[in-house]
Amino acid sequence: MDITFVKRLITTSIGRKAVMAVSGLLLGGFMLVHLAENLLLFKGEASYNAWVDLLLSNPVTPLLEVGLLGVFIAHIITGAWVRLEDFLNAPRGYEARKWQGGRTIGSATMLYTAAGILAYLAYHLLTFRFVDHSMGFYQMVTSAFRSPVFVTIYIAGSLALALHLSHGMQSAFQTLGVNHPKYTPLIKAGGLLVAVTMTGFALISLYYLAGIDLKAAEAGYQVVVIQ
Amino acid sequence: MNSSKHFSVIVRVWRQAGPVEPGKMVSYKVANVSPDMSFLEMLDILNDSLLKKNEAPVAFESDCREGICGTCGLVVNGDVHGPDEHSTVCQLHMRRFRDGDVITVEPWRVKAFPVLKDLVVDRSALDRMMAAGGFISVNTGAAPEANSIPVEKDKAEEAMDAAACIGCGACVASCPNGAAMLFTGAKISQLALLPQGGPERAARALSMVAAMDKEGFGNCTNEYECEAVCPKQVKVANIARMNREFLLANLFSKR
Amino acid sequence: MKLDAQIPAGPIEKKWDAHKFNLKLVNPNNRRKFDVLVVGSGLAGASAAASLGELGYNVKVFTLHDSPRRAHSIAAQGGINAAKNYPNDGDSVWRLFHDTVKGGDYRAREANVYRLAQLSNQIIDHCAAIGVPFAREYGGLLSNRSFGGAQLSRTFYARGQTGQQLLLGAYSAMMRQVAAGTVTVFPRREMVDLVIKNGRARGITTRNLVTGDLEAHSGHAVLLCTGGYANVFYLSTNAASCNVSAAWTAYKKGAGFANPCFTQIHPTCIPRSGEHQSKLTLMSESLRNDARVWVPKTRADKRTPHQIPEEERDYFLERRYPAFGNLVPRDIASRAAKTVVDAGFGVGPTGQSVYLDFRDAIKRKGEAKIKDEYGNLFDMYYQITDENGYKTPMRIYPAPHYTMGGLWVDYNLMTTIPGLFALGEANFSDHGANRLGASALMQGLADGFFIAPSTVGGYLAANKFEAASALDPEFSESAKQVQAKINRLISIKGDKTPSELHRQLGNVMWNDAGMGRTEASLKKALKKIPEIREEFWKNVTIAGADKDFNQTLEKAMKVADFLEFAELFVRDALERKESCGGHFREESCTAEGEARRDDANFSHAAVWGYQGEGKEAVLNKEPLEFENIKMAERSYK
Repeated sequence: MDITFVKRLITTSIGRKAVMAVSGLLLGGFMLVHLAENLLLFKGEASYNAWVDLLLSNPVTPLLEVGLLGVFIAHIITGAWVRLEDFLNAPRGYEARKWQGGRTIGSATMLYTAAGILAYLAYHLLTFRFVDHSMGFYQMVTSAFRSPVFVTIYIAGSLALALHLSHGMQSAFQTLGVNHPKYTPLIKAGGLLVAVTMTGFALISLYYLAGIDLKAAEAGYQVVVIQ
Repeated sequence: MNSSKHFSVIVRVWRQAGPVEPGKMVSYKVANVSPDMSFLEMLDILNDSLLKKNEAPVAFESDCREGICGTCGLVVNGDVHGPDEHSTVCQLHMRRFRDGDVITVEPWRVKAFPVLKDLVVDRSALDRMMAAGGFISVNTGAAPEANSIPVEKDKAEEAMDAAACIGCGACVASCPNGAAMLFTGAKISQLALLPQGGPERAARALSMVAAMDKEGFGNCTNEYECEAVCPKQVKVANIARMNREFLLANLFSKR
Repeated sequence: MKLDAQIPAGPIEKKWDAHKFNLKLVNPNNRRKFDVLVVGSGLAGASAAASLGELGYNVKVFTLHDSPRRAHSIAAQGGINAAKNYPNDGDSVWRLFHDTVKGGDYRAREANVYRLAQLSNQIIDHCAAIGVPFAREYGGLLSNRSFGGAQLSRTFYARGQTGQQLLLGAYSAMMRQVAAGTVTVFPRREMVDLVIKNGRARGITTRNLVTGDLEAHSGHAVLLCTGGYANVFYLSTNAASCNVSAAWTAYKKGAGFANPCFTQIHPTCIPRSGEHQSKLTLMSESLRNDARVWVPKTRADKRTPHQIPEEERDYFLERRYPAFGNLVPRDIASRAAKTVVDAGFGVGPTGQSVYLDFRDAIKRKGEAKIKDEYGNLFDMYYQITDENGYKTPMRIYPAPHYTMGGLWVDYNLMTTIPGLFALGEANFSDHGANRLGASALMQGLADGFFIAPSTVGGYLAANKFEAASALDPEFSESAKQVQAKINRLISIKGDKTPSELHRQLGNVMWNDAGMGRTEASLKKALKKIPEIREEFWKNVTIAGADKDFNQTLEKAMKVADFLEFAELFVRDALERKESCGGHFREESCTAEGEARRDDANFSHAAVWGYQGEGKEAVLNKEPLEFENIKMAERSYK
């Protein structure tokens, strides 16, 4: 059995980058779904909890979770590997060095935003995943969103994610060989849009921190975002 | 023309006696610089004045001095190939500088291009990559009549855009990761775009990428600094094409 | 010196085929036992190495560059000729042959030129097949353009980078053989001596330019593909490393040097701007398709070009050559510019240039169209001069560009030393006294891809070779002599740099043996050159050690050879008391000042033989017979 083609995905520069790109796109997709889920908060406690219950009772969910973990690990390992090699091979010792306009804030900070996201993820899992869920998910989430400390960390995490994706999304397409004068501008714009969308996480948390939901309820409005 | 307005500059230049010796920046004053002089002619003057003092001149390489041979390559004040866009350092002229300017001159500082002396580096890695597949295997005399293989004009132009690479190594020198993707991508693209290169497309992509990895270049993180400094405006679309060629070859060829 | 050109018998169309049939073949299994040393990796060298490697010979390639891809062939802009007749404008092998012989002012060998024209089509086929991205029409077929000296379109091109693309093609073909193990490339090696054993070329001594070590390489044949010597003028369009040293070494070992005075001066170069100038830059002569060349009618006119009204401008090419106008061949355009400049009509800060004006073309076609066609050249001009060619006329002046002279070779491209071949610009064979545009690339590739692989094989098959190795005394003797020369150079420790002395030589060559030559000027040069040479050997300075990366030493060794070669160049010019092609003797011209050949006395290749240190070279003549083309006066009026 010749598995050279599998090995090449790990042992070659382009293979590793492809794994990183595919896993990155999957993770980006996951984040969009995750954001959509968070929007359910606006529909009220019952709807949100019902969705979470549905999710948790589905036997496929643990499999998806393991899959997600796998994708995440693949992204981290290939990313770390690429970066380690780059660190070892990077031009070193220029007295003066000017960037020529190719780099963006997003591209230059990938490693740092990655570290930020990872740290945030750990915090996120500790606060939401590996805790007592008896109070109900809606309560757990919204009460966290009313804590300034939590929201500050949460906003930092989502901004890091936005910055990461501002480079990562379009970069993944380039890595997978999708570059065409017709489509590349759209892909770049789309990537930026996805990145900007990630600030939605921050906005939702701010919504609860500012207590807009409570004020709205007092005023007798039911805010419905998703019909 | 303002050839009468001669001026002086301070050149801070990397001096390194040999591949394993430590190097350092050394400052020299160069007087009587004409704005019409090329940057390398200014270094010629510096070298002639060093020679007259029986000091070793600064080793640097250049040949055609018109931006096509790819021999020259310096980092000037942090700019790969100097401050002018889309040109090699031999095309830079002193009218870009002012009296009293301090000009920092460094070699390509890339692991895969070790310094031989002063500003001269060894770029033979690029030749070894070419030997790994940067060609079309047709023996002399075996070629069919040239017009028997039509090539779509747009494709031919794109192939020419990629083929314009002069192998100077600026893409590697400017890459935050020391990657040679633009060089390799350009050659793989040129030969993949032309029907003549078709029969060896898959093998070429696999072997050239393997050779590139072996030489100790970095990975691509799609920051496009290479495209920004390339004197021949080779586009990063060529890197995407290389990625595509490689991934498809890996998945679908028999190799 | 015996000059047998080995021209095969029979009608000219059949000579090459007949000759190939008569050449002996080397058994494929035996080829790897033959070592072929190729010096130089330009079009001729790289293509020869590739083809010989494909055949199975054991090939070693030496280049002074860091990579074989940097050879100066790379700088050719315009294109490569071939007699494909794709545009249906009446081209044929015979017409390309005819144009080349006529363009060379009837000073080339007919049989060689015919073969060149014959092979031109195969070169295009092969280059297209190995991935050279030639310009194409919308239908996908190859595109042609016209070029100076021809009245049809036969030039194939790859933007303004044809030389680069062809060289990269030949280089890639060679690198394929490197991968196959038949070719080994030795970069950063300068050939410093030719080693002869029992009368045959059996090896070379090289200097490793990184370590300074002298290295011996033995082989069964040596191919010099080392380019031309236009840098004898110091300022030329050639790259800095172009030199005569390899050819000169061969000459001193017994190879005849033919027509050294035949130099091409290219009309459309950017003029020098001052003493600091290290090289001159050529702009494609295609500019002359649309621009008009002029000078003011008043001497030393200090007005800006815009202040000079139409009636006070002298469009001297149109005036003198109404039929061809601004499109006369290179030698004629160059000389006409020199004539007006010498008479004091030159323009620019130095007075050493003429205007190349696009004003009328821009009026007629619009700036956008002109930008489209020549934009890169306007950019290049702006970068060097800081002047906008769209707004104010460009300034141009002729500059040495190509050398038609070179090592004498027979029909097999073998020099007068058995086993030593010369290919490309390094030989003298195909361009006579003037080379047509887009023919240099053609010749380099014809020699390398197609001719040498047959004729070198023929030589190897026809001869018995005694064993030779790099350990033979001939090699150690060679190294000893080279080392002695290096030691002598290093020990001078004078106060003049090699560049200064080179510039001094260049001034003499340009002023006294350049575009216009007289008996008096040449004799003056013959007096001055030995003086500079003497000064060089007394007063040159080289810092650093020889067993090191030492660019000053490299330069000094080249200048030392130029200083010897220049004298032969001038003697050849003095001896040829006629004007032909790029060689213009002011004594030999018509009443209108045009070049006048003297076919009765000079229809020959002048082949110089070395007689030893301090002795005068001896002139031998290979008569040129024109059986297929009628000699006529070149007229472009």
